[in-house]
Amino acid sequence: MDRRDALAKMFSAKGVRVNTNRGEAYYEKLRRTMEKRLNELRQTPAATKMDIQKALDAEGLSRRDFMKWASAITAMLMLPASFTPLVAEAAELMNRVPVIWIELQDCAGNSEAILRSDSPTIDELILETIDLEFNETLMAAAGYQAEAHLDEAMKTFKGKYLCVVEGSVPVGVGKEWCTIGAKAETFEEHLLRVAGNSAAVVAVGTCATFGGVPAAAPNPTGAVGVQDIVKGKPIINIPACPANPANITGTIIHFVLTGQIPELDHLNRPKFAFGYRIHDNCERRAHFDAGEFVEEWGDEGAQNNWCLYKMGCKGPMTFNNCSIVRYNSGTNWPIGAGHGCIGCSEPQFWDKYAYERPMADADIKAPTGGVEKSVDQFGLGLLTAAGVGIAIHAAVSATAGKKDEE
Amino acid sequence: MKAGYKNVKRMTTFMRINHWVVAICMVAAVITGLYIGHPYYQTLIAEPAVDKYVMAWNRWVHLMAAIIFDVSSIVIAYLYFFSRFEKPILKLLPTPKNIVEFFAVFFNLITFNRVKKFDSSHADSFNAVYFLIFHLLLVWMLFTGLQLYVQGLESGHSSIGDWWPALLHWATDWTVAFTGGTNMDVRYWHHMSMYFIIVWVMFHIYYEVWRTIFWQEGDIAIVFGGSKFAKEK
Repeated sequence: MDRRDALAKMFSAKGVRVNTNRGEAYYEKLRRTMEKRLNELRQTPAATKMDIQKALDAEGLSRRDFMKWASAITAMLMLPASFTPLVAEAAELMNRVPVIWIELQDCAGNSEAILRSDSPTIDELILETIDLEFNETLMAAAGYQAEAHLDEAMKTFKGKYLCVVEGSVPVGVGKEWCTIGAKAETFEEHLLRVAGNSAAVVAVGTCATFGGVPAAAPNPTGAVGVQDIVKGKPIINIPACPANPANITGTIIHFVLTGQIPELDHLNRPKFAFGYRIHDNCERRAHFDAGEFVEEWGDEGAQNNWCLYKMGCKGPMTFNNCSIVRYNSGTNWPIGAGHGCIGCSEPQFWDKYAYERPMADADIKAPTGGVEKSVDQFGLGLLTAAGVGIAIHAAVSATAGKKDEE
Repeated sequence: MKAGYKNVKRMTTFMRINHWVVAICMVAAVITGLYIGHPYYQTLIAEPAVDKYVMAWNRWVHLMAAIIFDVSSIVIAYLYFFSRFEKPILKLLPTPKNIVEFFAVFFNLITFNRVKKFDSSHADSFNAVYFLIFHLLLVWMLFTGLQLYVQGLESGHSSIGDWWPALLHWATDWTVAFTGGTNMDVRYWHHMSMYFIIVWVMFHIYYEVWRTIFWQEGDIAIVFGGSKFAKEK
């Protein structure tokens, strides 16, 4: 993004305040909006034969499991507990919301994160029941057949479907390396065409949101995020590498419930997921405050689950809910497994966050551009230069200077 | 007093107190700030969980020093324009007189006091510009530091009210875009600027000592007693 745009956006940001209690009147109005929306959805025909009840039965999960999940999602979306039945209903109506999922410069890691699980959570089952019209990784169709299906879906659900994008968009000199389909459509053209007819665009994963790994220096393809290309559409960014399935589900449920996008922060990330830092809810936070740090892998501190700050944990700078939601059905997450956060949900994370050193040892580019130097090396150089200058001045003053007479 | 000299008041009591408060805050902020960026001593030596609060104390001292610094900066900014003693702004305006004086003092420094064509009894333009650089660096530290601080107040609440984080976001969110678009860039420049301030202090101390030795007017006494001596014409 152009720096001036970014500055303007910063000034117009609504702030990151996460308001969890908006008062009776607000929630009453919201409930009416949601009920109306769900009624409308119920009138429309289900697009797939799959529904959540079938998915639950197939996995041997009870209605009770489902309702427990619904109350957790309600809490995650920062809605009062009385909204739980609406959330459950929205989940049941998920098969009425068409989704077109396109992949650009990516590793399909976000799709993998959702799909590759030996015991799928309800989050993942929900994503199975959505009306997924197009997804390169999953669909059986290929070639002209797939293209034809995409065109048909875009026409049938014009203005109604969610366009989910995974992967960054190359716009630099290397953009012709990435084309799709028989007409050699570039990724940028492909994205603009699909996003153009959508109700909203959901950028999933850090590549789609901020360019991610393909945009890391020297960024050979000139990769950028979806929000830099698509204008005039509501865009929801769900960064992280991979994006947490819980956050994807939460965002889609919110869309199903209200027909609107959730409240976003200045980087277009849903506040319900990205309103807090990893650091603030980290299970190792007390060790940070105590100054108890892991000094090297496998040491006494590591065995005692001490803070990973000195091993390069970027939790204090990274906004995400991993420390609460965790990954793989809440099994674990990077810090729980003993490695620091690499800031994967922040812009430019590969260049500026993903290293195993304390933050002050950041080996990022010095202002001169070319040579990489850490701040401390540069600073010591600066101090030395100043010291040498002062010493020379003092020496010359002492030998050649003229002292005023008393 | 020695014949041929007169006593010239150069700093008020408030200015001197402010100077030393700022000096102490700066040393405290550098020591604790370096620890926050890279904890350089470790607390493995103590038993686990025995009243250890090392990082938290470092952060507490750093933030306290910073907020005293910030309030001091606001007062100094006011005094630039409205001081009843000396208004530094009058020495900063690019008038021909000030420009001539600035270069005369600079020339005096680089000729090792062989050339001295200005009145050293009052505050000069070179001095005013040099201190302006310091104050601008402090303002920069204030904005970047408060941005790093407000990242931890995501709830939008603080012990003194919701207006405080809201004000900090309003006043400092631009530093993220300005430094390169990420929180890490803000931290980088906050850390980098510390070195510029230390370099500034190195020259500041050197120059005060140098003036004392070469001008023979007791300049170093200004910050303690508030006055120096000037030769009577």
